[in-house]
Amino acid sequence: MAQMIANAIRQAGTNFVESLALFLPRVVTTLAIIIVGWLIAMLIRTLVRGLAGWLRINVAAERFGVAPLLRTADLPPADALLGAIVFWLVWLGFLLSGIDVLGFTSLQGLLASFWAFVPRLVLGLAIFVIGFVVANFAWRATLLAAVNARVPSPRLLSGAVRWLVLILTGAMALEQIAVARSVVLTAFAIAFGALSLAVAIAFGIGGGGIAKRILEHQFPEQQQSSADEISHL
Amino acid sequence: MSSPLPLSVPAPQPLWYKDAVIYQLHVKTFADSNGDGIGDFKGLSSKLDYLTDLGVSCLWLLPMYPSPFRDDGYDIADYYSIHPSYGTLDDFREFLDAAHARRLRVVTELMLNHTSDQHAWFKEARSSRDNPRRDWYVWSDTDDRYSGVRIIFVDIERSNWAWDPESKAYYWHRFFSHQPDLNYDNPAVRDEMWNVMKFWLGLGVDGFRVDAVPYLIERENTTCEGLPETHDVIKFLRTQLDAHFPDRMLLAEANQPELVRSYFGDGDEFHMAFHFPLMTRMFMAVRLEDRKPLVEVIERTPEIPETCQWGIFLRNHDELTLEMVTDVERAYMIDEYAHDPVARIYLGIRRRLAPLLDGDRRRIELMNGMLMSMPGSPIIYYGDEIGMGDNIYLGDRNGVRTPMQWSGGWNAGFSTTDPERLAQPVISNPLFGYQAVNVESQKRSEHSLLNWMRRLIAVRKSSPVFSRGSTTFLKPANHRVLAYLRTLDKEQVLCVYNLSSSAQAVELDLQSLAGALPIEMFGRSLFPRIGELSYMLTLGPYAFFWFKLRRF
Amino acid sequence: MAQDSVLSDELLHHLMAVGHVDVLVGVPTLNNAGTIRLVVKAVHQAFARYFPRDRTVLINSDGGSNDGTPNLVRNASADDTETLTVSHSLRTVHRISTPYHGVPGKGNALRQIMTAAELTQARAVAVLNADVSSITPEGIASLVRPVRDQQYDYVAPVYRRHPLEGPLVTQLIRPLMRAAYGWQIREPLAPEFGCSNRFVTHCLEQDVWDSELGRVGIDLWVTGEALAGSFRCCQTGVSPHPATSSRTPFGELFGQIVSTAFACLERHATYWIGRNGSESLPLTTPLPSSSVEAPATDGSRLTEAFARDLQNLQSVLEPILSQDTLTSLTRLAEKQGSHIRYHDDLWVATVYEFLLAYQRGVMRREHIVQALAPLYLGRTGSFLRQYSSAPEAEVDEALESLSREFERLKPDLIQHWHRSPR
Repeated sequence: MAQMIANAIRQAGTNFVESLALFLPRVVTTLAIIIVGWLIAMLIRTLVRGLAGWLRINVAAERFGVAPLLRTADLPPADALLGAIVFWLVWLGFLLSGIDVLGFTSLQGLLASFWAFVPRLVLGLAIFVIGFVVANFAWRATLLAAVNARVPSPRLLSGAVRWLVLILTGAMALEQIAVARSVVLTAFAIAFGALSLAVAIAFGIGGGGIAKRILEHQFPEQQQSSADEISHL
Repeated sequence: MSSPLPLSVPAPQPLWYKDAVIYQLHVKTFADSNGDGIGDFKGLSSKLDYLTDLGVSCLWLLPMYPSPFRDDGYDIADYYSIHPSYGTLDDFREFLDAAHARRLRVVTELMLNHTSDQHAWFKEARSSRDNPRRDWYVWSDTDDRYSGVRIIFVDIERSNWAWDPESKAYYWHRFFSHQPDLNYDNPAVRDEMWNVMKFWLGLGVDGFRVDAVPYLIERENTTCEGLPETHDVIKFLRTQLDAHFPDRMLLAEANQPELVRSYFGDGDEFHMAFHFPLMTRMFMAVRLEDRKPLVEVIERTPEIPETCQWGIFLRNHDELTLEMVTDVERAYMIDEYAHDPVARIYLGIRRRLAPLLDGDRRRIELMNGMLMSMPGSPIIYYGDEIGMGDNIYLGDRNGVRTPMQWSGGWNAGFSTTDPERLAQPVISNPLFGYQAVNVESQKRSEHSLLNWMRRLIAVRKSSPVFSRGSTTFLKPANHRVLAYLRTLDKEQVLCVYNLSSSAQAVELDLQSLAGALPIEMFGRSLFPRIGELSYMLTLGPYAFFWFKLRRF
Repeated sequence: MAQDSVLSDELLHHLMAVGHVDVLVGVPTLNNAGTIRLVVKAVHQAFARYFPRDRTVLINSDGGSNDGTPNLVRNASADDTETLTVSHSLRTVHRISTPYHGVPGKGNALRQIMTAAELTQARAVAVLNADVSSITPEGIASLVRPVRDQQYDYVAPVYRRHPLEGPLVTQLIRPLMRAAYGWQIREPLAPEFGCSNRFVTHCLEQDVWDSELGRVGIDLWVTGEALAGSFRCCQTGVSPHPATSSRTPFGELFGQIVSTAFACLERHATYWIGRNGSESLPLTTPLPSSSVEAPATDGSRLTEAFARDLQNLQSVLEPILSQDTLTSLTRLAEKQGSHIRYHDDLWVATVYEFLLAYQRGVMRREHIVQALAPLYLGRTGSFLRQYSSAPEAEVDEALESLSREFERLKPDLIQHWHRSPR
């Protein structure tokens, strides 16, 4: 009996060692992949940062108002941020590849879904960035136009425009990433609808005069602003 | 070389002057046969072959009458004789016959307006107030009659009246003070002048160039120029002429663009008159490189009777007159053509053709080409056919009346006398002087100016369209090109001139001539047939074309 | 795809016929039927009176008028006075009216005129404004003569105006151009000028014609090119001032002119960075000493909204202005409100900082220029209120000291200009 138990234990030990022997190379491979991946990710990050420098991403970020936002959020400057994002994505990819090698069935699908997820994430981020830039641009353009046209509450107006655009593109981005789709869709619909309703009510009831003034500004013959009174040239 | 034909008077050919190519010369400076330094008729006779060879058909001689020569012969002391320096009346007769034998007509000067103060008539008239000839001139006790009348020789004379110390009175003179005006209110004067004309016409002279026509009659409160009474005098003389000597010609010298038409009358006054404005405008157009002045002057030229003809010319023995142009035009001409103030005299420029055009052969050809194709009878001034120069430092207008340059030798072949004895010095500067410019060398060179002029005259004479045709201007967009059509019945010649010193392209609207074939008249080359589209021509600097338009 | 040539066949045809000229006068038009006949008449009178011996041509570059302007130009000889002038001229009178391709705008018209000037080898060129009925033959001659007789390359007009008129020029453009380029040019925006063939050739070689600058700001650009190149420039008194009926609303006008000015300064930076102070330009024809009336408005309404505008635009102005300037302005607006006194040095600092922001491109350039507009109105209102009842000489002195302030602060501008990252 003791002999059988000892044999079983010996067998189990041998099995264990065998499995371990089979498993260890995989671990080594995984580690190797992870380390190589890290190096490659670093390299790519440097390349991306270089590319960003050559493309003058920082300057563009300044122009489009992205850079102040990053500074407020205590994030690194645009090219570094971009580099960091790329680094993490690449490394994450290698990480998951490495884990995949280990052969844990429960994690098998993870890599596939990761590779499916990344493009959507990138696209979503791109939409958000573009939307952000557009919102900024629209905000400034509206503000300047309103100020020069003597429209009252220019800041309110331009702020409203900006938030509208941000909400819209935020929703679009989130949908693209496909995170909590239904929730996002519903929340957006409610928010957008409410905002539009509010603006319409405000305009309709309280903003008749403003509308009149804005329309009159479109047709300057009917009314001169004070700036047009004198001859500037 | 033609051998002299039997002596004959040219066959009667009315209107011969309309087709004439006239050569103006000064006997005094043409050819000297007796070595006294002054040209004479014998010398002139010896050069008639040269003139026939050139192709001219009529000679116009500057005054050849006895004269004290204070106005180069225009101050006449005897109407019925020849100046002894030029020879005798017989010499003149021989010359006239020789000319006629070569079918050359001869036109001499008729000085109607005034005589020299050395003329026997004036000597008599001034001797006393009761002299029968007194009334042959215009006398006054005061010099304020006819006040305001302009003075012609402004540089020399200060008044139109001169004081005669002999008879203690003023006498009227529109020209120099030694040229008293004859009084045409006196019928005796009129009759006598007809006698003068009769005398010369009787010898065979073919016509008269009448100097100073507008000034014959004076009336108070007028300009004393071109008055109706003056025309009456002319009509009288012309009637006599037609009655006794048909086939002769009267040529008026009247520099009054507005009034010149009146000297043709209704075909009952002068046969011909000089077209002064055209001459000035030709020089102006070439300088401006713009046809505008030329086209304007011809379009403004009045219509003249069928039997009449314009005398057109580039230069003559007088200054290039700028009397009758606007101030802007005069200032322009003076600045462009007479930088040197010595070249200016009275209201004009005393230069010959070649120096005026800087000796530029192309421009000389262009100007002569225009002259030979414009409406009128062209007059060539002696020496301009070889491009003679001038001497503005000689007094008055003598600078353009220097001896003809026959050869590069002794006195330019004009005379065998000592050079110091010459009546006028020969032009000797290296550019235009006789060593460079003379008949002998140019005869030997096929492409000399002389030979070119011969060919030009020959082409002109080849078609009556030049002398008798109508003139229609084409006005292409390129203002540097002058183009006009000469038409006579079915014959048409298209003349195109490049007035600019740079090559030009021009598009002519010749739609009305569609179908015609232009044949260039000098080389007889064929040019593309005229179609419906505009006709493109290119011309080198100062080049010109005469195209005969043929239809097949 | 073949590009539309500046030189249309029709124009080429005309130029072939015209040949070489001594004086070329160009008149760009777009629906100027009201005034064009007077302009053409004045040009022909100038030719006849002052240039009777010169080869001349009048070229009208039309942007597609639908009121018959080109026909009025071509048929101008119907006028009796015209015929008299024409018939007494020595030379053929040339007059061409031709359309130009591309977007209607002075840039395209000017390009065509300059091309024609180059091809005809015009010794002297004058470009006139067709919008004006007060042009005189003397004025035209005074633009041509310095080029033709004294070998100047560029002649700018000087007008007799009240110093309170035209604040956009007197408060901003003129002192800025003067301080930058170092030349005391009085009318940098003048729509008419005279120039030489050398200058024309130079302008045609530049790449401005297809740009925005070429479309709306060509007048100022021409001035800038003349001052920045090695060209002999001068000024001439032309009277009276062409009172244009400006149909553009203020906002658009301000944007066009100021962006042109900034773009010009950016273009010519290598020239003006080395220059200090300013030199006067020779005046070849003196101005007639007539008196001018002060303009009617006192500009008090212009500063009403200043404080509010400043507050509204805070976030836009922050990236543009320096902390000091913005603070000073805000404090000024708070304390004085609609009776603001916008000092010279503060205004100059404002302008220069805007110029630097424009050069660095801290945000879209149109926005930078638009943001300057309310500040300009504040400054103008402040100036007008202060000097509306002052004698002319005093106002002139005030403008002179403003110019000197621009010159004084120029080294700061240069210093920051170099430091801007590119």
